[in-house]
Amino acid sequence: MTSERIDGTSGARRLLRFLVSEMKPKGPLLTPFNLISIPVILLGIGILVVRFIYGLGSVTNLSQAYPWGLWIGFDVVTGVAFAGGAYVITFVVYVMRLEKYHPIVRATVLNGLLAYVFYAGALVLDLGRPWNVVNPIIGNSFGYNSVLFLVSWHFMLYMLTELLEFSPAVAEWLRWKKARRILSSLTLGAVIFGVTLSTLHQSGLGALFLMAKPKIHPLWYTEFIPVLFFVSSIYAGLSMIILEGTISHRVFRAQIDSKRHHKFDDMLLGLGKGAAITMFVYYFFKALVFLHDRQWNLLGDRWGAWYLVEVLGFVLVPCAMFTYAARSRRVGLLRTAAAMALVGILLNRMNISVIAFNWLSPVRYFPSWQEFVVTLTVVFTEIWVFRWIVLRMPVLREPHELPRAPELEARAAA
Amino acid sequence: METYTYVNIFETKGLEYLLLISFLVLFVVLVRYLGAGREER
Repeated sequence: MTSERIDGTSGARRLLRFLVSEMKPKGPLLTPFNLISIPVILLGIGILVVRFIYGLGSVTNLSQAYPWGLWIGFDVVTGVAFAGGAYVITFVVYVMRLEKYHPIVRATVLNGLLAYVFYAGALVLDLGRPWNVVNPIIGNSFGYNSVLFLVSWHFMLYMLTELLEFSPAVAEWLRWKKARRILSSLTLGAVIFGVTLSTLHQSGLGALFLMAKPKIHPLWYTEFIPVLFFVSSIYAGLSMIILEGTISHRVFRAQIDSKRHHKFDDMLLGLGKGAAITMFVYYFFKALVFLHDRQWNLLGDRWGAWYLVEVLGFVLVPCAMFTYAARSRRVGLLRTAAAMALVGILLNRMNISVIAFNWLSPVRYFPSWQEFVVTLTVVFTEIWVFRWIVLRMPVLREPHELPRAPELEARAAA
Repeated sequence: METYTYVNIFETKGLEYLLLISFLVLFVVLVRYLGAGREER
């Protein structure tokens, strides 16, 4: 008993020493990214302090006519679509068993987890009474009929699910072999649960706008917004993986062995094929809505021109680019297509939630500089946390520290 | 503000069916085109 306690105490001390040593910065401090992001983050924190003391009106241009602005339109509605890559790639790897994409699972899940924590977390910044954010969870005015009830529960559950999906990497980092074995055995169940949640809350974010029919321009309003949000989140996620993966492979080159570098382009081309097919399906839905609602009558003015910029310039063109790039194996073109597809998603979400929202109102909303700074703060902080984790945990590199599982040994021997 | 408008859902049915058939044909073409990339040849 005494020796067990001594072992436990020394184990806890070792863990504490390890965690303290991991807190030390790794890599150079004076990089261009650090020099830009640190002042922005500090300024953003200052603005948030003012926001929480004096209220939303002190730092934002939000009003009764425009209660949702950049923080909801970009951080929450767009950010969650960009985070769709996690549920797509885990479905592809763990359910469809396409092992080719296994090396990018952890980075994608980590990216998705952080996106939900920071972007969905940014929802708190936009609540007039942020302490009420716990109401849907603790049962104070549940609001079963509200789409926000579904979205809030799903966000919370999905964050926990992604944490579970990522937890084997944490266990490897801490060298907890038994915990890693248990957590790894839960992965498939977590993936299936996570995919189910994602299909519902990605479309649920679109369903939030169903009640705003008189406020949204008819070129963007349709009763099929939930379906369009869900389908577009698939190619948004794939495009984000292509772009984020490309950046990660350059920035964290030392973490990845040469064999994986070689295979990476093949993975990107495969993802590009998936994005091309999904965008084609999305385009079909858009065309169907266009016909069904006879929207050609609305194309004559500047709203019509703006709609065509989004649908032709940032959906049809990147779809064609993805198709050509995947077929002719042009990775550079694929990356450009991914960037354009993400701009298309950003335009679509911003059009529905901000730009074409209250389109008849004589007073227009434009975000204040503080709103832009806080948005950049959220993005930069997420990148800082992502970098901190990738430099310490086996996200991009192989977990060398642990012995292989017996079944993997047997498979390798066979 | 009046928000209810009557929509005759049958008015564009013919066009919608044509679009659906075109989509199915084009979808098969797209998948075959993507599947026959340089990698497999």
